[in-house]
Amino acid sequence: MNEKEKKTYLEQYKKDKEKGVPFYPDILFKDAVVSLLIFLVLAALAYFIGAPLEERANPSDTSYTPKPEWYFLFLFQLLKYFPGELEVVAVVVIPTLAIILLFLLPFLDRSTKRHFWNRPLISVLVIGSAAGVLFLTVQSIRETPPPAEASQGDPVAALYTENCAVCHSGTITVPEGTNLHDVIAQGTHEGMPAWSGDMTTDEIDALAGFILSPGGNALFKEYCSECHETSELVASDPIELKAALDEGDAYAPHAEVSIPEWSEEITLGERTALLNFLVAPDGQRLFATNCAQCHGRSVGFAGEENELRDLVSQGGLHLEMPPWRDTLNSDQLDALAQYVTASSDSGNTRELFEQYCASCHGKRIPTMDDYDQAREIIASGGAHETMPVWGEVLTSEQLGALVSYTMEAAEGTSLEAGQELFAQNCAVCHGDFGEGGPNPARSDDVIAPISTTEYLTTRDDHTLFQVIAQGQPNFGMSPFGSTFGGPLDDDQINTMVAYIRSWEANPPVELPPEVDSSSVSLSSGEVYAQLCAQCHGPEGLGDVGPSLRDPEFRAGNTSQDIFETISKGHEATPMIRWGDLLSQDTIQELTDFILGLEISEAGVKPEPTPGFSSFAEDVLPIFEAKCAPCHGSMGGWDSSSYDTVMTSGDNAPTIIPNDVENSILAQKITDTQTYGTMMPPGGKMTNNEIQLILDWISAGAPDN
Amino acid sequence: MITKIANWFDERVGWKAVWETIFLRKIPKVNWLYTLGSATLFTAVNQAVTGILLTIYYVPTPDHAYDSVQYITTQIPMGWLIRGLHHWGASAMVILTVLHMLRVILLGAYKYPREVTWFTGVFLLLVVVGFGFTGYLLPWDQKAYWGSSVGTRIAGSTPVVGDWILRVMRGGPDLSAITLVRFFGVHVWVLPASLILLLGIHMYLVIKIGISAVPKREEE
Repeated sequence: MNEKEKKTYLEQYKKDKEKGVPFYPDILFKDAVVSLLIFLVLAALAYFIGAPLEERANPSDTSYTPKPEWYFLFLFQLLKYFPGELEVVAVVVIPTLAIILLFLLPFLDRSTKRHFWNRPLISVLVIGSAAGVLFLTVQSIRETPPPAEASQGDPVAALYTENCAVCHSGTITVPEGTNLHDVIAQGTHEGMPAWSGDMTTDEIDALAGFILSPGGNALFKEYCSECHETSELVASDPIELKAALDEGDAYAPHAEVSIPEWSEEITLGERTALLNFLVAPDGQRLFATNCAQCHGRSVGFAGEENELRDLVSQGGLHLEMPPWRDTLNSDQLDALAQYVTASSDSGNTRELFEQYCASCHGKRIPTMDDYDQAREIIASGGAHETMPVWGEVLTSEQLGALVSYTMEAAEGTSLEAGQELFAQNCAVCHGDFGEGGPNPARSDDVIAPISTTEYLTTRDDHTLFQVIAQGQPNFGMSPFGSTFGGPLDDDQINTMVAYIRSWEANPPVELPPEVDSSSVSLSSGEVYAQLCAQCHGPEGLGDVGPSLRDPEFRAGNTSQDIFETISKGHEATPMIRWGDLLSQDTIQELTDFILGLEISEAGVKPEPTPGFSSFAEDVLPIFEAKCAPCHGSMGGWDSSSYDTVMTSGDNAPTIIPNDVENSILAQKITDTQTYGTMMPPGGKMTNNEIQLILDWISAGAPDN
Repeated sequence: MITKIANWFDERVGWKAVWETIFLRKIPKVNWLYTLGSATLFTAVNQAVTGILLTIYYVPTPDHAYDSVQYITTQIPMGWLIRGLHHWGASAMVILTVLHMLRVILLGAYKYPREVTWFTGVFLLLVVVGFGFTGYLLPWDQKAYWGSSVGTRIAGSTPVVGDWILRVMRGGPDLSAITLVRFFGVHVWVLPASLILLLGIHMYLVIKIGISAVPKREEE
């Protein structure tokens, strides 16, 4: 403002003043009215609400959730948005800046204009800041846990106050999909220490619940803490917790105590909060405590999120276990019960388990502590091992967390892809779970398991990669890396290494299988299927290697040429010197076998020639091994004979001759089914087995 | 008779001149928003009166603070009202101060010739905040103790000087009896003294310069 402007203003003000009113009584009257009004409001507040006074200050009770006076809440809330080292921004920078700006306001805004309409920048800034402060205050009130009176003497709240509140103040907003347990335990959050050294797992679980379900903690204190310690119930079985809350004294362990009917006492919302507190909606932790027992720690799922959600929420009610007492004698039941309780491994029992249980339970042996209970369960069967109907048990927060974690985890590690590659390339020799078996390349050799902890801890990823890429020609393993002429590129091998590595934490086999190594004598067809088919295709039509049925190939190679090639191999290709591994006789047989393959036009796949010769010899044994344990004694589809195979079943016919696509059986074993789950539930059959069954169907499903 | 007494005093005190300057001065026509300043002043007076009354019974030691507050609230006649007015008056004062400030900003009242009034106003805002912060601890209940504990800790997280600030505020590394006395001293002596000084300048300027007229919206 220059002198002239100042003068103009003062003159204008003088005029305004003259036109105005005297302070007394006009203005003073207005002021008095407003002041009286304010006084009345204050008196009313004092009368109706009063000045609150909580319990006496107790410096040793760290369980109290501190809360500043309401007009500081916006600062408190602001702190939450600047975690860790950024805290200084909220504590010092922003407030100091605000105060300095306020002081400098007359110098920053030097125009003569005074009406807010004429000073849009300042007006917007000020109203914006005021709105911001208001928003932060409201936000803070909404996020602050309910009144602290309820949480007095609460060990979980104490944990929070002692360890978290220093940096995080009252509450923490956790982004969806955070593996909170992990973050707390390992301090993966910037600047945050790893708490696992100072806190027990139970404490961390309780904290996660406290953070993710504000209020659940207070409910626990109110309703459960009289009988239960927090540590006793956190991260425990959600099924039991849910049952306990829903059934009241009908819940068996509560039968003896006089407790109210929780479902009437506690509202649904509160029960949800309580469950969310006890079993925090933290995907990774949920998976670890509830899914990993059956599914292992490696997460693999390739479908859509909704699909997974349905799968998890509907559970696996169809997986009924047959009552084994109908099939097995008492001794066998005893042996099995012994096996699962103590894992006392007498070769026989293992066989028994493999025969009856492995098709559903896979290689993972279910363990139980109580022998009688185990025996009873095996004998009577039923739904004991089915996947629980999680949809009825988990709160929507928990289910959501679990699903999004599984999706994320499955995506991040591509274990699914690794598993598929392993099944295609390695399982033939190493077994579905890397358990090993007889070496098809060397008659007196056994392939040791590669999925034991011992094997995996002694080999780093680089070594595994090299073994796969370069092969181990001396032991009959071809190179798989494309650099060495194999079918897989580096990415694929890395994916596979990651899958194999996932066994380390949770090895599917600990002990080398007992393999009868003496009597391995394979027909030339079997040798072909196990060794040559990898590159030349199961039907000799070629894949990585050339087609063996190509007229040109056959015209250019005599029997002697083929024999030589097999014996000496080709340099820098997966065709290793099989002569080092196979006997002359075997190679001769192989040569004859190859020459016996029908010549076909190059590139043209022949009509699906049945890869089987007989239903009774080829197909039925697969059914017996893989399907009959369940499909035979329990109603539904019966796999025990040709007639029942073709006619029985709830959705019969299960097999439509010549029509692989629409045959339910084919869909189920190839995992392309339109309803239900893949079969067998313990894991896909081998490619050979699947191919056999598919071939049989496409050949018209003959009974021969 | 009354006129006689009035004149007698005027001869010796000169109150009529003061009366005329303060109460009979002309004021531009203003709206109700212009009562916010007086309203704030009223709450300040309210706080002062009730606060002084509270000190009669309040004891600023950890042993007795809580009991004395409880005693005031439950035993003393109208004690609940005094404490209630003081408690709610604090919130009202903060709200009114901020509203008053918003009005001053939005209607450009801090401009020439009232810049100094504005500075004292900003200082007054800080004093009010200081009152709120120190007063929160005095009842010595859970809310007070832990709220102040966290509050001082947050202030103590300032880089470099943080630890020093924390020690000055708490009178030691922990929140203790010393902190309580310190907060009490600041709340009833330091801040009120600052308030009176600043308020004096603020009021003097308001009366001397006169409150700003309602600005007209200028067409551009």
